[in-house]
Amino acid sequence: MNYIQLEKLGKSDSSEGTYATVYKGRSRTTNEIVALKEIHLDAEEGTPSTAIREISLMKELKHVNIVRLYDVIHTETKLVLIFEYCEQDLKKYMDQHGERGALDPNTVRSFMYQLLKGTAFCHENQVLHRDLKPQNLLINRKGELKLGDFGLARAFGVPVNTFSNEVVTLWYRAPDVLLGSRTYSTSIDVWSCGCIFAEMISGVPLFRGRDNQDQLLHIMRVIGTPTDAQFQKIFKDSPEIQVKQFPRYPKMDFRQVLPKASPHAIDLLERLLKFDPAERVSAAEALSHPYFTTAVTQTPFGINTAPGSMPPPAFNFPHPHGHQPSQQQQQQQQQQYSRHPNFIANPASVQQQMQAQQAQANMGAFGTMQFHAPYGHNPNAR
Amino acid sequence: MSTTFYPLASLSQIESTPSREDGIPADLEEDLRAYGCKLIQEAGILLKQKQVAVATAQILFQRFWYVTSMKQFGIGDMGMGALFLASKLEECPLRMRDLINVYDLLLQHSEHEHTMGPKSNTEFKYAPMSYFGSTFYELKDTLVVAEMQLLKRLGFNVLVVLPYGTLINYLRVLGLTSREDVTARAWGYLNDAMQTPVYALYQVPTIVCASIYLTTRHMRLSLPSEPPYCWWELFDAEWEDLWSVCGYIMRLYRDRSDEERSIVVKMVNKKEVRKWLEDHSQGNEGSSNGTAAE
Ligand SMILES: Nc1ncnc2c1ncn2[C@@H]1O[C@H](COP(=O)(O)OP(=O)(O)OP(=O)(O)O)[C@@H](O)[C@H]1O
Ligand SMILES: [Mg+2]
Repeated sequence: MNYIQLEKLGKSDSSEGTYATVYKGRSRTTNEIVALKEIHLDAEEGTPSTAIREISLMKELKHVNIVRLYDVIHTETKLVLIFEYCEQDLKKYMDQHGERGALDPNTVRSFMYQLLKGTAFCHENQVLHRDLKPQNLLINRKGELKLGDFGLARAFGVPVNTFSNEVVTLWYRAPDVLLGSRTYSTSIDVWSCGCIFAEMISGVPLFRGRDNQDQLLHIMRVIGTPTDAQFQKIFKDSPEIQVKQFPRYPKMDFRQVLPKASPHAIDLLERLLKFDPAERVSAAEALSHPYFTTAVTQTPFGINTAPGSMPPPAFNFPHPHGHQPSQQQQQQQQQQYSRHPNFIANPASVQQQMQAQQAQANMGAFGTMQFHAPYGHNPNAR
Repeated sequence: MSTTFYPLASLSQIESTPSREDGIPADLEEDLRAYGCKLIQEAGILLKQKQVAVATAQILFQRFWYVTSMKQFGIGDMGMGALFLASKLEECPLRMRDLINVYDLLLQHSEHEHTMGPKSNTEFKYAPMSYFGSTFYELKDTLVVAEMQLLKRLGFNVLVVLPYGTLINYLRVLGLTSREDVTARAWGYLNDAMQTPVYALYQVPTIVCASIYLTTRHMRLSLPSEPPYCWWELFDAEWEDLWSVCGYIMRLYRDRSDEERSIVVKMVNKKEVRKWLEDHSQGNEGSSNGTAAE
């Protein structure tokens, strides 16, 4: 292998047993530090579906707030995914840099912005992450937050489709999923973002249920039990949900739950944590919330964190229409494609191919480039 | 209308597939592909698998033959691998044992028909294999390898877009949704097209337009079809592409002689493909580079 394996970074604790082990590694050719995720192939199951999802989706998703997958090495007995290296995950970061886990307001704001940005990018590219939680968010030395672990992610946009209900770690699981929904969409990730937001502010997970039912009760005790009319509507939207009886809890004031949070933070949190998935804001909308757009303080990020902590994160602060161009581009590409079905002769696709080659050349630095797709190419290069 | 794109075969892959390079004639390759897809379909039915998984498997299977020759991997094994993989992608995984048994049954059945002749009245008897025998273990291995090869050779490009939602949208735009027979017929063409390579060659809108076009022809419906007002242009489909897709679908319905059929059934594994190639290379001026295809 073209990588030297260094110390172990994490071991999978997923329900599927020993799925993967993550090591720090170094490229023999470039000396660059990377993360190596080793996945063992099982004689009973073949290639784990988590690995298939992770690779097929992540290789398309290129964004600062998503961990970059550089390469895949395929051997008889294992798959090794080579990722960009990040210093630690958000869980460990909070343990180390937070005050009893709680992060300072500027760091929270920076991380939250980046979390939503990465999530919005996934959704824009029709990918649901489905397992957002602090352990799956990685922070690098520059203070950049990146979405990792796409083992439960999937592409959506295919109508008439139902999804697995076994997604998202319990504490970050949306109430509609807890109720049994299989037709959920992007709002499932938005809920998890809300839970993570509260956790960064307070230092402890917001809803810590023991099981499915208990988790729902924890949620209702804070955001209130939905009214009958609200329940009716949710059941109508997702008929596969089982109707149950719940105690009537009033809604709590979030200011009591999170005394440290600013009014803007509270308002954003309320919009992220709506019981009815249809009422939750989208990740893209949340990015232009006043919590991000109103300047609260002039202090650069991270200045009041402990010595030796990370420098201020490098990201561009909110530009309200940052997400607009993609749809236009898509339409354009669609038209171009249909005019040149024979798209080797299509300048747009030649350009894309060149870009792809360029990208490959860049990745080639990591030795065996097993990644080039011998089969066709994606005209909708992301 | 938002449409997701998926990867397509490149022009050079289309012009000469790996199987054709190895000397398998184009129409034989097409028939072998179709037979492989039919087995996937039948296995899916016996396993009560979701149609989306079956359709996804057929599309991945078709893609695979643009990067690999049938001399290297058998259509039976790869079909089984494609169904195994697609079932994971669609979150309705299959047990290896069930899949292997169903394929074993299907292949024994067609072997019976092939040796006895399709019109024979000797009864088919299924001889189940032993779970502890080596055949079962070998097949498990084959299945894991097939899945791995699909992933590797397709570069993990396993995104598939199914056409059904688009069909409903287009029929609505064309004001045809009230006619159930129209919807059913177009839907049927889309499903039959799964046995052809078109999903590896064209994007969904083109294929959906072709299915509607065939339906309107069959049912004598008239839609504006004279330039400059051609209904398919509404959906950005080009006439030549649409026509080509129709060609692939119609070729599926061509009558095959008993002999043609039995050749295809026999060539379900790579051993027989290799044997066929040997038998045919001498007669064909020793050609192994596709002259046989012309
Ligand atoms: N790119 C990376 N850089 C640094 N550390 C990483 C990286 N990727 C993963 N890790 C560490 O390894 C841990 C496990 O990684 P990941 O979540 O991808 O694996 P997993 O097996 O799918 O996890 P699980 O099933 O436990 O959720 C992470 O929580 C993180 O601490
Ligand atoms: Mg994880």
